[in-house]
This record gives sequence, C-alpha cells and structure tokens, in this order.
Amino acid sequence: MGFFTMTLTASMFFLLPALGELFDQRSGVLNIGLEGMILMGVLAAVATSTETGNVWLGVVAGMAAGGLMGLIHGFLSISLKVNQVVSGTGIWILGVGLTTYYGLAYVGPVKHTIAPIIGGLTPLFFVGLALVPIFWFILSKTSFGLRVRSVGENPSVAEVSGINISRTRYIGVLVGGMLSGLAGAYLILAYAPSWSISWRVPVTEGRGFIALALVFFSMWRPFLLLVGSFAFGTLWIMGWYLQTVLPGIPIHIFRMIPYLVTVAILVLISTERFRKRAGTPAALGKPYFRGE
Amino acid sequence: MEKRPEQRSLWKGIKRGETVLEMKGITKRFPGVLANDHIDFDIKAGEIHALLGENGAGKTTLMNILYGILQPDEGEIYVQGKKVRIRSPLDAISLGIGMVHQHRKLVPAHTVLENIILGHPRAGKVLNVRRAEEELKGLCKKYGIKIDLRAKVWQLSAGERQMVEIIKAIYRGAKLLILDEPTSVLTPPETRQLLMSLKVMARDELAIIPFITHKLPIVLKISDRMTVLRNGKVVSHLKTKGATMRSLAKMMVGREVLFRTKKVEVKRGKPIIEVRNLSALSDKGVLALKNASFSIREGEIFGIAGVSGNGQHELAEVLMGLRKATGGKVIFRGRDITDSSILERWKTGIGYIPSERVEVGSIGDFSLVENIAMNLYFDNSFSRWGLLDYKKIRKHTEEAISEFDVMAPSADTKAKHLSGGNLQKLILARVLSREPQLLIANLPTHGLDVGATEFVRNKLVESKKEKIGILLISEDLDEVLSVSDTIAPIYEGEFMEIVPSEKARRDEIGTMMAGARPKR
Repeated sequence: MGFFTMTLTASMFFLLPALGELFDQRSGVLNIGLEGMILMGVLAAVATSTETGNVWLGVVAGMAAGGLMGLIHGFLSISLKVNQVVSGTGIWILGVGLTTYYGLAYVGPVKHTIAPIIGGLTPLFFVGLALVPIFWFILSKTSFGLRVRSVGENPSVAEVSGINISRTRYIGVLVGGMLSGLAGAYLILAYAPSWSISWRVPVTEGRGFIALALVFFSMWRPFLLLVGSFAFGTLWIMGWYLQTVLPGIPIHIFRMIPYLVTVAILVLISTERFRKRAGTPAALGKPYFRGE
Repeated sequence: MEKRPEQRSLWKGIKRGETVLEMKGITKRFPGVLANDHIDFDIKAGEIHALLGENGAGKTTLMNILYGILQPDEGEIYVQGKKVRIRSPLDAISLGIGMVHQHRKLVPAHTVLENIILGHPRAGKVLNVRRAEEELKGLCKKYGIKIDLRAKVWQLSAGERQMVEIIKAIYRGAKLLILDEPTSVLTPPETRQLLMSLKVMARDELAIIPFITHKLPIVLKISDRMTVLRNGKVVSHLKTKGATMRSLAKMMVGREVLFRTKKVEVKRGKPIIEVRNLSALSDKGVLALKNASFSIREGEIFGIAGVSGNGQHELAEVLMGLRKATGGKVIFRGRDITDSSILERWKTGIGYIPSERVEVGSIGDFSLVENIAMNLYFDNSFSRWGLLDYKKIRKHTEEAISEFDVMAPSADTKAKHLSGGNLQKLILARVLSREPQLLIANLPTHGLDVGATEFVRNKLVESKKEKIGILLISEDLDEVLSVSDTIAPIYEGEFMEIVPSEKARRDEIGTMMAGARPKR
C-alpha cells in the first residue's frame, strides 16, 4: 500500500467520529467519550461479523453499538442533566472496560474483512467522504439543521420557537454515537483487521481524543474538519515512515508526534484570538434547565 | 412540526372589537406566593390592551400562562369562545398567540432571517431562503420597519432585535401579540417608531398586549384599554381615555406616588475625578469607549444617558479598575489612578454599584451579613487580630437594613430570598455606608418597581449633601433628566455632548442617544 493510500485510510478514522461529534456538539452536547463509543463499535463489528460471516452486518452492529453508547450519554446528560464531561468520561471508561472483557474471545486476526474497491480504498472510505458535504448541507441549508444549531446556541430561544430541545439533542447524541461506532467497524474490518487486547493501549490508541480535538480545530465546520483529518492522517503515517528512514531514533518519538500536535492545537485554539472567531456553540456542554 | 388546522381556523373572520380571548379565574400558586389570584382578562381584535402592575404583581406569570410556559392551577382560557388548553409555547403559537420577550430570545450567532424562520412550519425541509426573504420584506414595508435580514443578530441594537422578534411572531401567524416591557431597551426615537408600527398592526385586527411597569406615559399614548394588577389580583379594568398617570400609579402601588424626585441643591465643590481621553475595548475586542473626557465635582450627579451597549458599561468598568484602559488617564483627587487595582480604588473612596445586582452585586447563597462584609473585609476597623469582627459587621448590617428600609426577616437571610428592590437597597446601603467620595451607579433602578425606584433615586440625590460625586449610568432618560446635574448622552462610545441639566431638553437628549450630533 502506498503512502498516499495509507494516509487516506488513516485520515478516515479521524474523520468519522469527529464528524459525528461535530454534529453532536452543534446541538449543544459535548461527548468526550468518543474513544469508548469507537471501542464498542469495534467489539460489536468484530463479534457480529465473526459469528454471522457477514461484514456488512458487522458494520450495522458497530453503528448500533455506538448509537446505543451515544444514547446512554444522552440519557445521562440530557434527561438527567449530569455534567457532560463526567458522563463522557464514564462512556469512555465503560467502553474500554466492556471491550477488554468481552473482546477476549475475538483476539487475533479478523476473519472477515471489507475488501478495497478503488485504489486500495474500501467503500466505507467513500461513504465517509460523502458524509462531509451531506453534513454541511444538512447543518447550513435545511430547516432541521437550523433547529439543531439553534438548540446548540440558545436552547431557550429554540424552545419558545416551538422546538423540542430534548428530542433534537437525542438525535445529536445518536448520530454522534453511530458515527463513532461506524469508525470502530471501519477500524477493525477495513483499516487494521487484527484485534488485540490491552488495557493500556486499546486498538484505538487514543485516536478518539484526537478526533475530539479536531472538532474544536475545525471550528465546527465539516469541510475544515475534512482538511484537519487529512492533516492528522498524514502526521500519523509519517510517524511510521520516519522510523524506517531514521532508524537510530527511538520509535516512540515519532509516534508521539500526532499527540503533541494535538496538544499544541488545543493550546492554540484556547487563546483569546482564536476563541473569538471560532464560533463555538454558545450552549455547548450546558444541560438545559427550563425557565433559567 | 405538528399542525393543528382546526385551531388555526379559529381566527378566520374575526372582526374589529370582537372578543378574541378570555382568561377566566386564572389562579397560580408558587411556594409561599399566590402569583395570580382568580384573574379575569379579555382582549378584543384590533385593540392594544396594556397590562399594568409593579414587579411581582403577577403580569409575567399571567402572560406565561397564556403563552403555555406555565400551567394555571385553576381557571380557563377561551379563544373565540372555545375553551382551549395551552400546554406549551408550541400550542400557543398554533393558536395564533405570539410573545416577544425582553431578554435573550434570539440566537446572536445566526442571521436575522435564520432567527425568524427558525421553527416555522413553512420553512421547508430545505430552507427556502428566497421566498421567506421576499415575504418578510413585504411585511417590514407594510409596518414601516427597516431591518437588514442578512445581518447577524449580535450586530443589531437592542431596539432592532426587538423588532426582529415582533416580525418573527407575526410571520409565524400570530394574531395576538404579547410584548414584555417593549420600550425598556429602546431609545426615544426607536420607541416612537415602535409605537407607530404597533398602531398599524392593530389596524390589521391584531390584538396586542404590552405589559409595562412604570412607563406610564407610553401606555397612556398607545393603549385602548388597560388591566391593572396588584399582588396577583385585578385592581381595575378600565378604558385608557380618562386615566391619568396619578390614578394609574395609585392603583399599581396602592398609595400616592410622586413623580418627582426630591430636588437637592448643593454648592458644587472641588473636582473629585477627572477623566481625560479615556478609551477601552469591549469584550469582543472592539473599541467601545472613544476618548471620553469629563470631570465630576463634589455634590454633582453626572448622568450618562444611553442605551446599553454604547460604551457606558465599559466606562464604568474602567473607572472601577475592572477593565484596562487602552488610552487616556483617570485622575482621582489629583492622583493618577489609571492603573490602580480594584481594591486600591475601594480604599481610596470609590464606590461601585454594578448593573447586575444578582450576578455581580451579591452572592445569593450568602447571608446579608456576609454580603455586607464583601465590602468591608479590607477595612481594618471591621477586623480584630486579623479576623473579621462579625459582631461589628452584623451590627453594621442591621443598621443598614433599618436605615434603608430593606424588607428582610433578619440579617441572616440569604440574599437570594430578597426581592430585586430590597436587594438593590442593600447594595446601596453597603456602598453608601462606606462614605465614598465617588459613587459609580450603573443602572441603579433597572428592573425595579415604582416604589423602589423612587427610593433609590431619592437616596442618590440626598447623598449629594455628603459631598459625594455620582456617576449615574441609566437607560431611562426621565431618570437621568430628573436626577442629574450634568447630562451626557452617549452613543457608540462617544459623548454627543455634555450639558448642564438646566439647559438640557428632553427631545434633544433623546435624539442624541440615538446618534444625532448636537446642532449647536
């Protein structure tokens, strides 16, 4: 597989969960538990495809599992109005814990995988790519998108305009969860089809958190998110390449690069100059209490 | 979006003067309070029916019930003679009832157009922006409203935002419009514009309910009928013709109210503060205060008249040290304090009444004693051996409570249990008891009822006798005119003029608040 193909393949793994999270955050719900939802997608996808022999059922199962995790986060943060950072952390730990426990049976190479169709890229890649303009269109051109954005900006305004806040936000967490689950299925069935279990380094390698940071970096715009995902995909693959080019240097240095860049970006976007322009959804992370 | 066609058709064929809505025996209890006590209310097509009452009289509760935000404990609502239940704002909207709120009911980051079509059933799955834009342009033209539909809402003035909300409600099919204190954020010319538009709307058989606390002249000018509430009960239903300011105020407050603030004439002393070419940025990083220069002398009230968002809050914050000046100097008693800390300013004798009494002026979960201590903790005479002398602070608090007529069960009551007026009296007492030389009062009567407003204004005027200089910031032109010795209308961060009150003319100051340059 060429460098470019590998880059694209790696990028998609950032894009999918980030796109879902972007949508989720536009409705005002912050879910930092991407990592946990992706892992559940991985587990559901690998288990279903192994048991049934059908990879596409595996993809559906992955999305369902991610969606379910999203709904759990929704129940906690929308219905029970739990602090969203706390709830999201719970989703992350739950995902890691469940997959470490139930995934034991599926350790090893995955039997059924999704074959590439064009230039070494699988159909899921193109699905993900198509989702970018679709999400952009829905958010900025449709009535539903306007409702979602309004709920994320100012729920009390949305409510007096006759919009059901809870329902809109539940759709947000569901979409976010399903795309994370899809990312999990993509990872295990198409991108790196081998299941290994480690409490310390799950198969996702913390990339769910990079995806989360990318949402902030994208300033909540799908096309910028696409650019950011490609940038990180490139960085990710570069890490692998550099270690073959420069064998003297410990491998860990290179593998650190994407994470360091993430930290740098998070610092950058927290500066005042950036914050003013970013267009953060004003109600992001705040549970909605009626009459406040 | 759900549709309820059978209810929508209720409004078909209504004629001017027909009763379109009746509320009968509406009762609503909150813990410890009877907010609405068997209220009867009705409104006819094509009339402007003012709902009057002091804060806490039950106006907002009644209208929130009508708009479906609250559910009544007892009572019934009839639209065109048919009994209805309004469970949510969505129900109200589909019954043709629209409400324009005073605060924060638009999304600032979205455009005017996006705000108006938000939640509109005809917006389409894919937004049909062009059609909506054309329809809205027609609507604006009809009612004489000028607004840029593509502007972002955060760029608009408070008055423009309100117009957007009104258009939104009408575009949504409202035949009955509820307006929450519609003129409180407007400049005088904007008010005139609004009243004209409302009259035109009423001609189209639209029923309009503005509810208003103390802007009685406006009510007398535009309304056809009124309902006056006091302590949750209807005091009177009356025709506007024949009503006077005095008779209305008496009904609202339950006693005679003087519409004049006491006049206190004192000789002005030495200058206390001199401000030279002061500039500052707003939170958004825009130049909000531009080269302001003025001085305040002992016994002088310097009144800044302007609609919020024109740099007056930035000015107050710079003077108190809460915001950095980007240029210019502040001289206090001959000393440059431009870069002094907030605490130094308190200690040198500057007092501050912030505009947000609940968020900034007090800590709700603290007792009154603790709230008073917030301004005394740095004062050595209120501590002993490095510990706060709570006995002394309590005594001080009790004196303040009785002197300023704060209605509170005890000094240990939590601040959040005080009404707005009583909380403001406490804050005023706290500041004045420190005997400041300069008092910065930012919107000191904003949102207070007639009685409390009168009290606060009189206290401010009386303090002139103590040689205190006061910087008064107000959106209420009548307040500035009646209290101040010097008047400075502010617009977009600049003083349009600085005039002694003897020479100030109401209409001139009003137009300057809206940006007109002085003719002289």
